[in-house]
Formats: sequence, C-alpha cells, structure tokens
Amino acid sequence: MIAKSLKWSRHNLFGKPFDALLTLIVIPTVLWLVYEAVAWALAEAQWDIIPQSLRVLMIGIYPADQAWRAWIAVAIIAALLGMALGYVFAFKARHAGFLALVLLALAAATGTNDLSNLLFLATSAVLFVGGWMLTSWVPLSRKFLVPASFIGLIAIFAIMAPPGANLWGGLLLSILLTLVTSIVTLPIGILLAFGRRSRFSSVRWICTAYIEVMRSVPLIMVVYWIWILMPVLTPQLNFSDVVRGMIGFTIFYSAYVAEYVRSGLQAVPRGQTEAARSLGMSEFDINRSIILPQAIRVVVPPLVGNVLDIFNNAPLVFIIGLTDFLRAGQMILANPQYGDRTYEVYSFLFVTYFLVGSVITFVARKLEAHLARGSR
Amino acid sequence: MNADQAAQWRDDDKRLAARRRRNRIRYHATQFAIVGIAILLVALFAVAVKDGLARHGIKFSFSFLGNAAGFDISEGRTFAIGEDSWPSFVGFTSNLSIAQAFVTGIVNTIKVAVLAIILSTVLGTLLGVGRLSTNWVVRNLCFWCVEFVRNTPLLIQLVFWYFAVVLHFPPIATAAKFYGIVISQQGLYLPALVWQGGDSAYAIALGAVFLVALVGAFVEKIRSFRWACIVALVAVPAIMLLTGIMELDFPVASKFKASGGTSISPEMAALLLAIVFNSASYIAEIVRGSIDALPKGQWEASASLGLDRRSTVNDIILPQVFRVVLPSFGNQYISLTKNTALGIAIGYPDLFNVYGTIANQTGHSLEGIVIVMISYLILSWIISAVVGWADRRMARQGAMR
Repeated sequence: MIAKSLKWSRHNLFGKPFDALLTLIVIPTVLWLVYEAVAWALAEAQWDIIPQSLRVLMIGIYPADQAWRAWIAVAIIAALLGMALGYVFAFKARHAGFLALVLLALAAATGTNDLSNLLFLATSAVLFVGGWMLTSWVPLSRKFLVPASFIGLIAIFAIMAPPGANLWGGLLLSILLTLVTSIVTLPIGILLAFGRRSRFSSVRWICTAYIEVMRSVPLIMVVYWIWILMPVLTPQLNFSDVVRGMIGFTIFYSAYVAEYVRSGLQAVPRGQTEAARSLGMSEFDINRSIILPQAIRVVVPPLVGNVLDIFNNAPLVFIIGLTDFLRAGQMILANPQYGDRTYEVYSFLFVTYFLVGSVITFVARKLEAHLARGSR
Repeated sequence: MNADQAAQWRDDDKRLAARRRRNRIRYHATQFAIVGIAILLVALFAVAVKDGLARHGIKFSFSFLGNAAGFDISEGRTFAIGEDSWPSFVGFTSNLSIAQAFVTGIVNTIKVAVLAIILSTVLGTLLGVGRLSTNWVVRNLCFWCVEFVRNTPLLIQLVFWYFAVVLHFPPIATAAKFYGIVISQQGLYLPALVWQGGDSAYAIALGAVFLVALVGAFVEKIRSFRWACIVALVAVPAIMLLTGIMELDFPVASKFKASGGTSISPEMAALLLAIVFNSASYIAEIVRGSIDALPKGQWEASASLGLDRRSTVNDIILPQVFRVVLPSFGNQYISLTKNTALGIAIGYPDLFNVYGTIANQTGHSLEGIVIVMISYLILSWIISAVVGWADRRMARQGAMR
C-alpha cells in the first residue's frame, strides 16, 4: 500500500524536477487556503443567517402565508424534471437510495423543523421519482412530455399568479425563468434554424439577420429593451415584469438555440434527404420525421449546456427590478443587522449555484457519452 | 412513328417548360409576399412605437444628442473639439454633449474589453495547458477552478469581486504596496510611462521607430525582418528609459489619495478581475478541447523522436492548437465584450450604464437603445474581422511551412 502510493506520487507529483518544484509550491499553498477556509467556516462564520432568511432566498418577497403555492410549483417542476430524466436514464433502485440521502442532507442542512415544509419536500421527491419511473418504464408516456411540460408551466402560472406576479422571486424565480425560457425557445429556435436554410432567400436573410443581431448584443440590453418597449407597444395588455423578463430571455436565447439546432441539421448526411425525396416524401415530412429527429439527437448535450447558460444569466433580471436568488441575497445583506455577514451569504449563494450548475453539467456530459454510445 | 415520337417529345418539352415557368413564378411570388409581410410588420412596429411614444408625449428624434449632458460620469475620456478645431481626448465633464457621453461609455467599454481580451487569453492558455500537466495537483487545481467559474453566474462573481474583495482592500492610508503598485479601496495605482522627450527630433524619431516596429512585428511577412522588428520593440523602449526620454512615474500614496502613475478605479478593477477569470476559464476549456482533439499520433511521434514533454507541448502541440482555436477565441472575445455590460451592477460607467443614465435624464430610451445596439454590433464585427484576419494569416503561414 505504502509502496503503491509512493510509486503513484513519484509518477504524478515528482515526475520531473519542475513537477516536484510545482508540487512543493502548490500543495502547501492549497492546504493553507483550505485550512483558512475551513477554520473560518467552522469557527468564525455565523451560519444562523441562512436558516433565518431561507424563505427570502428561496421565494423572495412572495408572501409567507402563500408559500403553499410556491410549494405546489416546486412539486410540478420536480415531476417534470423526473419525467425528462426518465427519457435518457432508466430508473434503478440504487438511484432511489441516493436520492433519499440527498433529501435527508437537504432537510438537515436547512435545519427546517416546520412539518408542512418537510411534507411538501417529501411530496416533491415522490413526484420526481414517480415521473422518472413513469417515463423509464412506460414507453407510451414519453410522447406526453412536451404537452405535459406546457400544461405544467401553465398550471404553475395559474397557481402562483394570484398574489401578484411581480412578487415572484428567489431561487424559484431563477428556476422558473430557466424552465420557461428553455422550453419556449426550443420550437422558436427550430423554426429559425430551418428558416436559415430555407429555399427562399428572403426568409434566409431575415432569420440570419435576427440570429446575428441577437448574438452580438448583450442579454442585459435585450431584457431591458423588451421591458421598456412592451408597455409602449401594447399599453392595453399590461404584462407583469416577470412575463416581460421571460419574453426578453426567450427572444435572446431563441437565436442561440437556432445556432445549436443548425449545427445539428448540418450534421445530418445529405443522403438522408435524398433518400427520403426518392421515396416521394414531401419537404415538410422529410424535415419533420427524417432530418429533425437526427439533428436534435446530436444537439441535446449543447442544448443542456444552454440551459445552464440561461440559469447562470438569470440574475440579470435585477435590471428590471426583479428579486432573483442573487438579488435576494443582496437584499438580506442590505439589512444593517446583517451587514457583516457578507462572506456567509455569498458562500451560500456560490455553493447553491455551483451545485445546480454541476448537476446540469453532469447531465450534459452523461448524455453526450450516452448518445455517443448509441451512434457507434 | 418517328415523327409521332418527335411530336410527343416536343409536347413534353412544352409542358415541362410551362411547369418550370409556373414554379418560378410561384417562387418569386412567395418571395415578394414574404418581403412584403416583413416590411409591413416592421412598419406596423414602427407606427405602434411612434403612437406609444406620442401617448407619453415623447417625439422620436436624435436631436437630443447635441444637448448638454448635465450629469457627470465617474471616469472616462471622450473626444472634444478644442479651440484650434483639433480633436483632443479629454476627461468627460457635465457641460459636454450627450453624444460625447455615449463616446465616453464606448471608450470605457473598449478599455475594459481590450485589457480583458489580452489578460484572459494568457491566463486561459496557461489554465488550459495546466489541465494537461503531468502533475496531479496542478491538473486537478486547474480543473476545479475552471469548473467552478464555468458553473456559477458571472454576475455573482462580479458582485463578489466588488463587494467582498475590492471594497475590502485596505484604505489608502494603509494601502498594500509592492514594487510601486499601490492596492487600496480607492483603486489600484500602477507605475506609468511618461514622455519626457518633449518635441526634440531625436526623441520623436525613436518614438516613430517604435511604432513602425510595432506594426512590422504583426504584419511583416519576411521572417528575419519580423524578428528585427521584435528586437527593436524591446530595444527602443530600453534606450528611451535609459536616456530619460521616457520615465517611469511611480504612484505615491499619501493619507487620502495617491498621486502619480495610472490609476484603475475599484469598479474597473472588479469588472476586469471578474471578466478575466470568467473568460479565462472558457478559453482554458477551448484550449483543452482542441489539444484533446489533436491526433494521439502527434504525441507519440514526438515522444519517439525523443522530445521531452515541454518541447512537445511548446513546439508540436501548441502551434497546431493555435491554428484551430482562433475562431472559438473570437466567439469568446465577442461574448466577453458583451459581458462588460454587467458593469452597471457595480456602477462602472460602460456603454450600457451611460445609456441608462442618459435614458433616465432625457427620456429618450428608445433612440438610445438604437445607438447602443449599433455600437455593440460594430464592436462585434470589428472583433470578428480582426480574428478572421489573424486566422487567415495563421492558416497561410501554416501552409507555407
């Protein structure tokens, strides 16, 4: 054992004089930094601020007595995510054990002792697993994912709207924004991608111009622009800030989705189109049932990466006055009572963002490996 | 029989030609219809915007650009026409026009973008190569740094750098100083090069030689001349410093402020730090991806020739990588330039932030958006043109060798 680890370190740490020097500099520095961080986290940091302000962080300024509405939205999201997961990874018993551990850790970490919250958390978990099992074991149910997600989104809007859509906030707002944007941009992006290779040069020009303009201006500007423009254009409709933010994100990210889909369309061999044409299929049928399914298959991993991009840019809604996860954290720090807890709050925000981001990246990588195996 | 067949062929030909003509007419009709609908939609949009603005009592016009700004911008320079009608580069003051305020914003955006592009390319390449190091610690450290930055939002990184790092620097009275650099809450102060040559012919000639060498180092096609230019680029500044034509001006910190040198405001420092680390992570990922995409045979052939790993990386791998990564770098540079718009979150007066102030002060938010949008479009085009030029140049060199 010792001989083995010595051999390992000779190969991986002290292979060459330069490596040895690097190791001798880097390891103590890293250890010192880790020691300082751990010492601060265990001894100095006052973590009580996190459980105290957890509700604000999660749902922002949404009224506390209406929190059950937010919980129902969480349950719907959990079921939808479970269904989407079952598409690619078949449910196995070991997943359930792992998930239970994660939930226990979540419940323990938040230190909540409110029975209703725990009950809602457990319900969401059950729905997540239920959705996962459904799509992994009942192939018929897979056809209903797209309609189910649209119905789910509408249901979430209907349930969460009554207290006022401008009150949505916290991590839930970031997640809802990401979900709505990534689902709605998909059909628009596919249309734009087909438009960019249309027979008609006018359609090609319009789609290309749209995509290129959107890709060269900052998202924050597009969101702000839509936010000020919509009341001028349609004063009678009076959309809430949240909806206007979602429209801005959708307009911006449709262009990105279109580019991803276009790269997938280019990856489909020409012979596929020619073979389908020689079978006498119409252009619409060729595109819908021959080209698109193969193209989507290629671009699923980058599209999942795009979801992470949307989630990471969700804090930009601060520009139109919404209280997302990051802004909720800053709101807590603005309270003079908590002014000295900067590092605690930012650590929590960073860790949460990193966990969500890592899960999405992990899924994208797994998917890539999964699809590469299928196409071999 | 033969005549019959010929008549039938003629018939077929006619029918085909008629069908082609019909198809062509249908195609063009559809084209016109699409263009017509598009123009109609844009016109409807314009009319709706005009009506909407009229309801709010605003008239769509760009005449506000000539008005005096009446507000201040915390930092930045703009072009102004002096008394001798010679454009000069001056600090922005509130009596200048709104157009000049926009220019200040653009200059600030370009300043951060150019610095960030240079720094993040260097740091990103180091990180990307570090991910393939033979040293386990370095490899994993680079991996986790890149992973952490890529999986968290840029905005939280930015506000963290600003509120939790830069604003926690020591105040200027007790500022940290290394080798002439002063780090404090009020900003970073770096030594600056100051021109002391006046207008003596000797000094101006040296300066001209430096500029020629700078251009030559990038565009000169003959290799030995290019090397001469690069040598001159090092030698001329050294001569200038030694003979006192250029002087290094070190910042001096007093109790309340630092004087001398060049200063970087805390907002710019935080924005630069956040964008450099963020872009460097993406560039590291591009570099690593392209190194992985090289055929394994390149490594094996180089090892079988007895080259050590460092020579392999420096002389075999990186030259090939830089030939393929430039387009991806270009995309990253464009997204970096767009990301400078986040400066508004910490109060850095970039183009978008200046636009926000102007829109608040004058109410002309839609006209402003048009200007801002066109500015960003032009910046993106410039970056892709420059990167495309460099890419073509590199490809040509590769083909020549």
